Amino acid sequence: MNSTAMDKVKPHRRRAFSRADRTTLTAFVGVPLFFHLLLVWVPAFLTIVLSFTYWSGISISRIKFAGLANYKNIFFDTPAFWEAIQNNIIWLAWFAGIATPIGILLAYQIDRQIRGHKFYETAYYLPVVLSLAVTGIIWNFLLRPDGFVNGLFGRDIDNAISFFGNYDINIYVILTIASWRHIGYIMLLYLAGLKSVDMALREAASLDGATEWQTFKKVIFPAMKPVNVIVIVITIIESLRAFDIVYIIYGSSAGFPILGTLVFQNIAGEGASMKGAAYAVILFVLSIGPIIAYLRTTFRSDVQ
Amino acid sequence: MSEVTNGISRRSVLKGAAIGGLGLAAGGSLLAGCGSDSTGALAFGARTVDAGPTAQLKALTAAYTAKTKNEVTYNATESNAFQNNLSQYLQGTPDDAFQWMAGYRMQFFAEQGLLADLTGVWDTIGDQYADSYKTAATGLDGKQYFVPQSWYPWGLHFRKSMFADLGLSADTVTNWDEYLKMLDGMKKKGLVGFAAGDKGGWEAMGTFDILNARINGYQFHVDLLAGREKWTDAKVLDVFKHWEMLIPYMNPNVLDLEWDGAMQLLLQKKAGSMLMGSWFGGNFKEQSDADYADLSIIPFPEINPMYGRDTVDAPIDGFCVAANGTNNAGGVDFLKFAGDMEGVQAMLDAKDADGKSIPMTSANKGQDTSTYDAFQKEQLAVMDEAKYITQFLDRDTRPDFAGPVVGPAIQSWFKNPKDVNKIVDSLQAQWDALPPLA
Amino acid sequence: MSIDVELQTAATKYRNKQKIKDRFISLFIGIFAIVWIFPIIWTVWSSLRPYKEVRANGLFSLPKVLNLSNYADAISRMDLPLYFWNTFIITVPAVFLTLFFGSLIAFVVSRYSFRWNVSLLLLFTAGNLLPAQLVFIPVFKMYITLGKAVGMPRLLYDSPWGVVLIHVAFQMGFATFVLSSYMKTVPKEISESAMVDGATVFTHYTKVMLPLLRPALASLGVLMTTWIYNDFFWALVLMSTDSKRPITSALGRLQGEFVTDYNLLAAGAVIAALPTLIVFFVLRKQFVSGLTLGSTKG
Repeated sequence: MNSTAMDKVKPHRRRAFSRADRTTLTAFVGVPLFFHLLLVWVPAFLTIVLSFTYWSGISISRIKFAGLANYKNIFFDTPAFWEAIQNNIIWLAWFAGIATPIGILLAYQIDRQIRGHKFYETAYYLPVVLSLAVTGIIWNFLLRPDGFVNGLFGRDIDNAISFFGNYDINIYVILTIASWRHIGYIMLLYLAGLKSVDMALREAASLDGATEWQTFKKVIFPAMKPVNVIVIVITIIESLRAFDIVYIIYGSSAGFPILGTLVFQNIAGEGASMKGAAYAVILFVLSIGPIIAYLRTTFRSDVQ
Repeated sequence: MSEVTNGISRRSVLKGAAIGGLGLAAGGSLLAGCGSDSTGALAFGARTVDAGPTAQLKALTAAYTAKTKNEVTYNATESNAFQNNLSQYLQGTPDDAFQWMAGYRMQFFAEQGLLADLTGVWDTIGDQYADSYKTAATGLDGKQYFVPQSWYPWGLHFRKSMFADLGLSADTVTNWDEYLKMLDGMKKKGLVGFAAGDKGGWEAMGTFDILNARINGYQFHVDLLAGREKWTDAKVLDVFKHWEMLIPYMNPNVLDLEWDGAMQLLLQKKAGSMLMGSWFGGNFKEQSDADYADLSIIPFPEINPMYGRDTVDAPIDGFCVAANGTNNAGGVDFLKFAGDMEGVQAMLDAKDADGKSIPMTSANKGQDTSTYDAFQKEQLAVMDEAKYITQFLDRDTRPDFAGPVVGPAIQSWFKNPKDVNKIVDSLQAQWDALPPLA
Repeated sequence: MSIDVELQTAATKYRNKQKIKDRFISLFIGIFAIVWIFPIIWTVWSSLRPYKEVRANGLFSLPKVLNLSNYADAISRMDLPLYFWNTFIITVPAVFLTLFFGSLIAFVVSRYSFRWNVSLLLLFTAGNLLPAQLVFIPVFKMYITLGKAVGMPRLLYDSPWGVVLIHVAFQMGFATFVLSSYMKTVPKEISESAMVDGATVFTHYTKVMLPLLRPALASLGVLMTTWIYNDFFWALVLMSTDSKRPITSALGRLQGEFVTDYNLLAAGAVIAALPTLIVFFVLRKQFVSGLTLGSTKG
């Protein structure tokens, strides 16, 4: 099929490559491909295989086949797993319903070049530039029992509001911190996409008497379809993969279970078992949908 | 499911500790003779970044280098990070000697072939330690893999001044009813009676350990952790029932504080008592000598007269040699020094940044317990009274059960104590579902 | 004519209403923005105050002393130069190799039509999206086994090279995708004339494509540097010696070590964040255009 296309469009390309060229091309593709396969795909496959074994991760000779035992254990005997799924779902709902829309709206307003937009762009994006380790430290400061927020409420260490320990509110605290970063990221992605929307479209809409909100809803948003898909996919993947912020604040303790920390707890440390591999596989399976959606949108024109 | 060995007869420990000064001269001269073959430079991994213990360990390595001319590279890692990474560390590029803990945590790695055999070291310095320490250092195959450094008991800590304010003293809080009365008194004064922090997931295990041992006895506790008793047993529910009685006297943000947060409550005189291991004496001393002098410890009160106060959690910290290290012989030689009184003395002589001595309760018989300060003497008294010693829940049972299962279970109990039946059912189910150890 | 005037006045009225609305929006976003960066401001503020003073006078006390002593302290006590050096020797090779490998694949895929071009792109992009935890244990085992096999246990494990390689393997996908998108915007005539002139593939790449790619490489480089600099997971799990870790992974240890003196810790965190902040402020245009290239297809 491709050769026909080549024939039609680029007939002058059909010439044999010289030996040197072939070597170069092989090297150009082969070397990167080698590293990528070796360090990403092969290990991914191995982890999937390992999830069906009993193993403490130490001596290869001790690997024992386990069938679905790890998965059965996770689904039926580990309440922490269901708590984690619940937390991940809440994370996703928050990101999709609150954080991402805020990012999009911010992007739109900043793109309209309202007063001070340059400052806003920088301010909102700043948290994205910070390492999550630094982010964790910053928020730990604010929310410690003897930190700023508790100080504002006049509380001391013995009756401080327990931002991270109170299980009714801690998920929202964590989500606020995660959003602090996510919103800026989505904002910038959307901003970049907005720049490619035809100015003429917007002017035509406003001349027709449409309000800003109508312009956005009926003209801009539909025109941004590819970016919209990417934003949705990133939102989903970030919610599933969340790990860093929770690790920074809770360490490896199980204070706030999500899939990412469950993987880490069961794979690192002394209690390592291939339950961790099973968790990783579950995480992967849940991500496949969004990944495929992303690939299809981005490579639509290529695949056709 | 493999057996987990635990428990040391306390009698032997006491016997060893009481004979002070023995072995100092003898041990010293024994080692002075050898050391002709240089085992070369080695690397030492410390499991702490705190100022006091670091000063002690650096003094130890310095003394070793001074004596044997072998350079020691000192690598420090924060405790939690070190523990999380240990499996990878030991398989990959470990230091030759490193700090670790006794109990099943050590036996597990020995069984996987990641620790070097230290029986030879024990042949040399074994007489400086009570038998119980040798038992604690023995792996599942009967060989030794561990050299003890120090120990500390878990007990009820309080400030003498605060107790005096209430008209109490250590002798008046010896059983459960008296303890509740004390907690009441603290609460009426607007103080937290029982400071607790469990953000790290492990701190509250100490409370579980002691309540279980007090109510149900040492044997039941050991059997429960080894899987021979069930978590759904009424005895375990009894433990949680008593624990629930303490909740009104705890700080409301238990799950937001780690152990140092609970310690701060005691340090700032906001809390009346705290069940904790005694390692934090140095933190009080850093604050001021007066604070350190005010600190006191007693065994956790008796609950069941049948058992009295006969059990205590007293984890032993010490050293191991990594089998995958580049210089096993060097590591072993270093541990011979560290376990001998000469090395112990170097640690005891170390001074902190303000020039003050750093408290350490050595496992070595040679440490002159008459030089113990008041707080250390009280720790010794807590140990003395106990007939049985356990290592702490996360060292006495399977690591893939303690951290990932028991820790979160206790945390979820704090969230909702009424869920206790669901929680113990889940604990038992998860124990039953544990995969065979590979 | 009168209709025109009516329309005009209507349009002006609408625009004025919108202007007022815009003022409110701007105000609201502005206040929100200040709240947004407040945590950062608070951290910088804390870093300028000595811990003892805050402890004695309270968190909200007016400062008697405002100085950089915490910073000097942080640099000396936290071993920061060492950690920055570690970061440097990991980040620079990783970014360079990622850009290099990405450009190779992007070059082949966009200038030469092979059957597997699209599959290759799909493979790399999907690889970029895989969760890191999925690959950690086998990668660890590979590093150790290889190290033992060649007699150098620290070849890849506990070595900056191991971390560099895993970063490259993962980020290659994004680099390839961005660069190939960019290359599509470069006119084909240049390549075709080079090929007609009989240039080898190698010359085609080095003399023709690379110079054209420079702006994209710059933008992508800025983005990659920030991401790789900010990562802390890989160095945490693939290195066991704390003194070899980059600054971001070391912050975890510093947080444990200086848990009580948080003013000092604040200074350390600010210093650790400084490089990315500087890059962001100075090279902001490249940053944004890097993301542009990545988010929309040319």
